[in-house]
Amino acid sequence: MNGNEYRVKPGPEGLLPPAAACCGVVLSEKGQGLVEGALKSENDTLRVMARELLTRQNPTIFPGPLVLWAWREGVADKAASVLELAHEIPGVRIIPMPDYRPIYPKIDPEAVINPCHPNLTIWHNKIEVCVFIGVHCHFANITLKMIRAGTNCYTITLCHEAGHEDSMASLPFADANQVRALTETIRQLKREGLRPRYADTPGILLTAAQEALSQGLVWQPAPVAQ
Amino acid sequence: MANTVNQRVVTPEHLLFEAPRTKAFITGSEAASEAVRRANVDIAIAYPITPQSETMERIGNLFAEGYIRDYYRAEDEVGAFSAISGASRTGVRCMTASSGPGLMRGLETIASWPGHRLPLVFLIMCRVINAPLSIQPDNLELDYMLTSGNILLHGENQQDFFDYTLAGFAISEKCEVTLPVAVAVDGFFVTHARAWVEMPSAELKLPPRDCYSEAVPMIDNENPPVRIARDAPIQKSNFISYQMHAAWQQEIHAAHERSRKWVSRYINGLVEVVNPEAETLIVASGSAVSQSREALRQAEEMGKKVGLIKVKSLRPFPTAELRAACRHAKRIIVPEFNCPGWLNREVRATLYGHSEAKIADGPRVYGGITMPTELILEWLFKSE
Amino acid sequence: MALRTLQVSPGFMRFMPKEYQDLVEKGPFGRKLKLSDLGTYKELLEEHPMCEGCAMAFFIRLALTALPAPEHTVIVGTAGCGRLSLSQAAIPFVYGNYCDTNGVATGIKRGLALRFPDQPKDVVVIAGDGGLSDIGFSQVMHGWFRQEKFTTVMLDNEVYGNTGGQESGMTKRGEVVKMAPIGKQFEKIDMIGLAKTAGVAYIARLTPTNPSRIISTIRKAVLIAREVGPTYVQAYTSCNIEYSIPPEKVLEDARQVEKERYGFLEIISDEAKAFLAAQDAAHRE
Repeated sequence: MNGNEYRVKPGPEGLLPPAAACCGVVLSEKGQGLVEGALKSENDTLRVMARELLTRQNPTIFPGPLVLWAWREGVADKAASVLELAHEIPGVRIIPMPDYRPIYPKIDPEAVINPCHPNLTIWHNKIEVCVFIGVHCHFANITLKMIRAGTNCYTITLCHEAGHEDSMASLPFADANQVRALTETIRQLKREGLRPRYADTPGILLTAAQEALSQGLVWQPAPVAQ
Repeated sequence: MANTVNQRVVTPEHLLFEAPRTKAFITGSEAASEAVRRANVDIAIAYPITPQSETMERIGNLFAEGYIRDYYRAEDEVGAFSAISGASRTGVRCMTASSGPGLMRGLETIASWPGHRLPLVFLIMCRVINAPLSIQPDNLELDYMLTSGNILLHGENQQDFFDYTLAGFAISEKCEVTLPVAVAVDGFFVTHARAWVEMPSAELKLPPRDCYSEAVPMIDNENPPVRIARDAPIQKSNFISYQMHAAWQQEIHAAHERSRKWVSRYINGLVEVVNPEAETLIVASGSAVSQSREALRQAEEMGKKVGLIKVKSLRPFPTAELRAACRHAKRIIVPEFNCPGWLNREVRATLYGHSEAKIADGPRVYGGITMPTELILEWLFKSE
Repeated sequence: MALRTLQVSPGFMRFMPKEYQDLVEKGPFGRKLKLSDLGTYKELLEEHPMCEGCAMAFFIRLALTALPAPEHTVIVGTAGCGRLSLSQAAIPFVYGNYCDTNGVATGIKRGLALRFPDQPKDVVVIAGDGGLSDIGFSQVMHGWFRQEKFTTVMLDNEVYGNTGGQESGMTKRGEVVKMAPIGKQFEKIDMIGLAKTAGVAYIARLTPTNPSRIISTIRKAVLIAREVGPTYVQAYTSCNIEYSIPPEKVLEDARQVEKERYGFLEIISDEAKAFLAAQDAAHRE
């Protein structure tokens, strides 16, 4: 079996698309990446990621618990590398996945993304490209499948472990060095003349929920857009 | 005193393939416990049932000797399997074992281990399922294991029981796998009979479990997130999508696919093929392989060429390997130690549309009956 | 140091949701809080889907408040109403299978003891009367016989509330509920007596009428389980739906049940008494 037959393209893929791993997509080794199910060099993978992040609508970084909480040595540096990445993507948002529990009564899609209903955050914010980093693999895989099933979001994963078949572009064994390599690749694409989609709105955008919170206001989530 | 503190940590590759081995003439129960001695196990939980008991008794002795760190005899299989699931959640390496009726008693728990993403090793010493009561070998319980989500290896002999048990820990704890590994052998034929087993030095052991490099957070209050409801009940559709459960189930199957690489590496391929060019093939697993080897030798004496495919891993099932090995086959028989013929069903489903071979619906024995080589030969050449 | 899992990585606090900002800045972790502190800090449990007026939800809120070291506590639950809120709490929560709470808790306690020999980790089972006295009975009893060092809290609503009101072993004799069409035919199981027989170090039975008593009971139970042996708390937490108690009458019902048949009972082993006395002495110094 090889990764050439089944392509992991952005959805919506349907009610219940299969797991890419069950369609012959295999994880890459260290130093390689997966792009739409096919093995690529790390460099090629980074270029694809960079291009998608700069050109698609509403780029968003979804940091997971392993990056959000400075629970062991190295995390603070990795978190810093994620912020450096964000600063190179004009118009980017950062929406955390701080935990995996089913949040009652329902999630605020401008405050979190949650593996129990990840598509709500994608839909609400009209996110068409995203990066997951620091999410435990089991919950990342579930989240990726659900996003692919019901949304047109291009999913990118910078995985600390073996990577993710169900994201459109995945780099395994990614530490702060790989995050910084992606940041550098973005800079390189800009140098090569690629004008970012949101070139006129540089910096990290806060969601309305984050904005309200930063001003000490009480935030009521808006109804999901039709 | 010889104990785990004095053992030297080596890689699974070194322990399984590189370290010099010496031969011992031992039972399967001894082989399994010798594997556990070298597996750096933290907790083993036992509950007696024939023919499993001797293995877990011996593992109890390993606890007394200091090779494993905690051990007790549980109240029953459900208690043992539940406690093991709790222990696995905290990041320690753990194992348990059972047979036929005991396995059936604990099946709800066993089938929940994969969904909870619990690395552990579960040894199965196959025995008939009551009723009527019998303690004899027959591997019907593996039929129930096939859809349980556990990785399932089926050893042929004492050597396999040693090697697959050690491999099981290494496979189970890979991040992209993070699943329980069940290692089965046929009771008595393997557990209570002696054979030569080659083993690396008992001064070596596997590396400890690296629990923060797995697919889920540990329940230990030492790794994020602070709110861990890792096995959250999915039933309120307003805040959890039913699709999460579907994706969760898919993820278990995906993890099985990812395990192929590691299973193949640590047990030297999902299948072993003898006489690949033969047009008449035996496909077998477990003790039926040993009997088939002898039948194959006898067939050669009669001047007939027969091939043998030993299925080592039942989950993941060697789909591609079997299709490749059977492409040219004209006749296939599937000797088994169970009444419904679960391996036969698997073989047929796998080869459908991929082989022209006629697949015989047997031979099978069960209820403790042995598999005479004559029976295999009779089925092999029945059509001639 | 589990509190590391509560430190937000530099630069990320402004992206965190409000509840996490509050939990980090005003949470109960690493602090010694009293009942009178309620309302001044971010509690472990706030929003949850339990019914209006539910005594069980009230009891759980107070029980979580009582935990002596929430940053080193694991809660184990099972099917039943309690887990609907427990899974929302800011504390690791394990939901296994049917009947398995006390087996799972055994494994968790032992596993954590191996990994963190110098850091006490509290394991608390919080489950219903059905989960503990019926389907989980064997594991409850054997955990006690083995003297496993964790706490078992029974949320005794005397019925299978979450599945729609069926008879449980803790239902009163004669009560007509689902699956008891002519009334329950045998007495409420004497779990207190069984706990005593099994050598449980601290046994308590109470109703949710007195918040400070709930807090002191749970705290004692967790601390004694940490140091001495198994502990058991049986709390009457009525199901106002299945027993048709109007929300505003829930506490009135609890007071009445307490007075008529449930009472407040504590059975403390000599070893546990000595431990509590030593604690008190240390506290006074």
